Amino acid sequence: MSMLSVRNLNKSFGGLQATTNLSFDVEPGEIVSVIGPNGAGKTTLFNLITGVYTPDSGSIELEGRSLVGMRPNQVVDAGIARTFQNLRLFTNLSVLDNVLIPQHHQLKVPWWQAVLRTPSYRKAEAHMHDVAMEKLAFFGPRLMSFRLHQPVYVLSYANRRRTEMARAMATGAKMLLLDEPSAGMNPKETAEITQIIRRMRDEGGYTILLVEHKMNLVGEISDRVVVLDYGQKIAEGSYKDVVNDEKVLEAYLGKRADDDASEEVEL
Amino acid sequence: MSDSRTRLRNVMLTLGVGAIVAVLLALVEGNGGAKLNDTLALFAIWGIAALSLNLVNGTTGILSLGHHGFMLIGGYVTSLLIVPADVRERIASQARSDMTPFTLSLSVENAFNAVGLQALTTPETLWVRFLVALLVGGFVAMIFGLIVGIPSLRLKGDYLAIVTFGFGEIIRLSASTSLFSPFTNGALGFAGVPNDFGKSIWWTFAILGLTLFVMTKIKFSSFGRALQGIREDEIAAEAMGVNLARSKVLAFAISAFFAGIAGGLWVSYLSAARLDFFLFFLTFFFLVAISVGGTGSYTGVLMGVAVVVFVQQYGDPLEKTYGLPVWFGVIGSLILIAAAGGWLYRKTRRMRPVLHPLVVVLGLIGLGTLLFAIFGQNSPALDGTFQAFGMRRILLAVLLIVIMAFRPEGIMSRAEFSWAWALRERKDQPSDEERAQDAWLSNPDLNRGSATSSEDPLPASLTAEDAPNAVPFLERGTKPDPDEPRYGEGRDWQPEQDDEEEGR
Repeated sequence: MSMLSVRNLNKSFGGLQATTNLSFDVEPGEIVSVIGPNGAGKTTLFNLITGVYTPDSGSIELEGRSLVGMRPNQVVDAGIARTFQNLRLFTNLSVLDNVLIPQHHQLKVPWWQAVLRTPSYRKAEAHMHDVAMEKLAFFGPRLMSFRLHQPVYVLSYANRRRTEMARAMATGAKMLLLDEPSAGMNPKETAEITQIIRRMRDEGGYTILLVEHKMNLVGEISDRVVVLDYGQKIAEGSYKDVVNDEKVLEAYLGKRADDDASEEVEL
Repeated sequence: MSDSRTRLRNVMLTLGVGAIVAVLLALVEGNGGAKLNDTLALFAIWGIAALSLNLVNGTTGILSLGHHGFMLIGGYVTSLLIVPADVRERIASQARSDMTPFTLSLSVENAFNAVGLQALTTPETLWVRFLVALLVGGFVAMIFGLIVGIPSLRLKGDYLAIVTFGFGEIIRLSASTSLFSPFTNGALGFAGVPNDFGKSIWWTFAILGLTLFVMTKIKFSSFGRALQGIREDEIAAEAMGVNLARSKVLAFAISAFFAGIAGGLWVSYLSAARLDFFLFFLTFFFLVAISVGGTGSYTGVLMGVAVVVFVQQYGDPLEKTYGLPVWFGVIGSLILIAAAGGWLYRKTRRMRPVLHPLVVVLGLIGLGTLLFAIFGQNSPALDGTFQAFGMRRILLAVLLIVIMAFRPEGIMSRAEFSWAWALRERKDQPSDEERAQDAWLSNPDLNRGSATSSEDPLPASLTAEDAPNAVPFLERGTKPDPDEPRYGEGRDWQPEQDDEEEGR
């Protein structure tokens, strides 16, 4: 059974059709990239899957369980966590707090036990701390020593991106939706984040769906690529097949002009 | 120092401070006089209310303006359950009273008699009945908190603030309607609530300590972190699995519970429950305290409450009638102080020119007013008198404006007082080794091989010796200089070198 299966997904905002009859699958342990020009509906797709928007029609299933109509926090309970394109960290809280908050929904100990700091709460807290350190370890020691207790607003942009990915992992989800994980990073950091995404799959066992504009990152790690344009899937397949697809080239670069027209348009 | 030893040290230090506070309270009770005693009790009662409001306002980030409503519920329930039998007879004999025999029989004393606990109905055991009444009042307020919490699921920001304000007013106004007047005695309220509790600094401070304990434990628990996550970014918190509905309603309910208890103490402090003891101004005072102390910081809120209570209790001289020379003198002195502050500010910040035109003009106006007040005393222009009516609240409002303009996050911001902070232990500052490792990590050219080709995870611990190439990089500027202030530490003020230029 596929991990995530999206069937005939439709969503419109007023007169704008954001996704049209969108269908695709993600198998367990796969890294699937969603690409497409600006406004193609990639982030809308993420918002539909994570319950921020409700689809007009169509189905979204995680391991056979429908996600349609769930609140975002229920989607996290079901096993999908996300990062945001424009960083939505808890800016005034420390890095450690940022990675502890996503574990709260798994806490079984009631709040009044936390007030009394009962042994079972202390144990749960220690476990949450261990999980946080384990997830931050994916990014090397840079977030783990003194930065652990620094508020997020003093971090560099790249470190904020890393914190957000660690935060998504800490939810305990099986599947991660990464919305432009390398946005705002330099080539070196992009190369490193590429490695980390691969290790998140290989060592962490996560299934990953990512939206990305940097084609070298997409080409290097994607098992499969889904191309969207105007809310429709125009191509799907391996990176090599997709980038040579006529429709994809058209979406990104524009239609090849007819022979007679090309004589009039000279650059 | 190990974790458990640190914790033990902190607990010992906290207990030590608690003991010192207890000794001070004992001294005040013995020799402080009634006024100081009342001020401390008022500080504790308002402190409980402000702390509970801060759970919703500061920690969860929901602006709630209906706190006086929860206090009213707690206050009325407590009075109904605690007023002594002779007061009940008086109420029953009043022609305008709507109280029914049933509602008049609702009291902790009767309940104890009914279940055969006669030992707890003596005057010596009033405190047991009071504690029960306070708890019941808290729980009833909590139920109303749950009801108010429900619209908070759909509304955000300003809209929710308006709804909570409306709810507070609805509670206050409906208490005098015929539906509730059998319980509230209508507009007459309850006079003769025993004040042994609300005026006792021991009980009020004990409950304040308990509230502070619960609130700070909540703040630093997983639940409190989730609430702070909601404050920082509601969408992100929900996307990270935080159940917004459950968390917000629970925060409202806990907050309302402690507000109800504060209401019970407030009624006891005033020896009466009346509708005009629960005006919006109560919430306003707590909001000022929270804004001054620091939104989200419980220790800061207590500082804010101290300021508000001080102005409220000792602000009488502000509202008396004085001759005009006195007013001119005071205003002139204030302007002069402001000008001196501006001059000092510019000097410490090394801003030039230090004698800014504004500073000069302010200083001249202040000096002129002061001189006029001193030498013009006999002139007919200064014959009259003036009373600054309502000056206390004006002063608090001005304080709010000044805080919002110059330090919008309040004195303590979101931080709490902690022993680690007091003893200058900072975990968020890098050690030299961590600094070297960080420099090594952040300079990609120094990584052995490129990150793309290396299969092994990044090394867990690195020093400058591990990466010989890193040394020149460190020397280029990131190497810590022992003379330079460390990251995050305040730069000590140093006197200016060029004093001779100062003279102009």
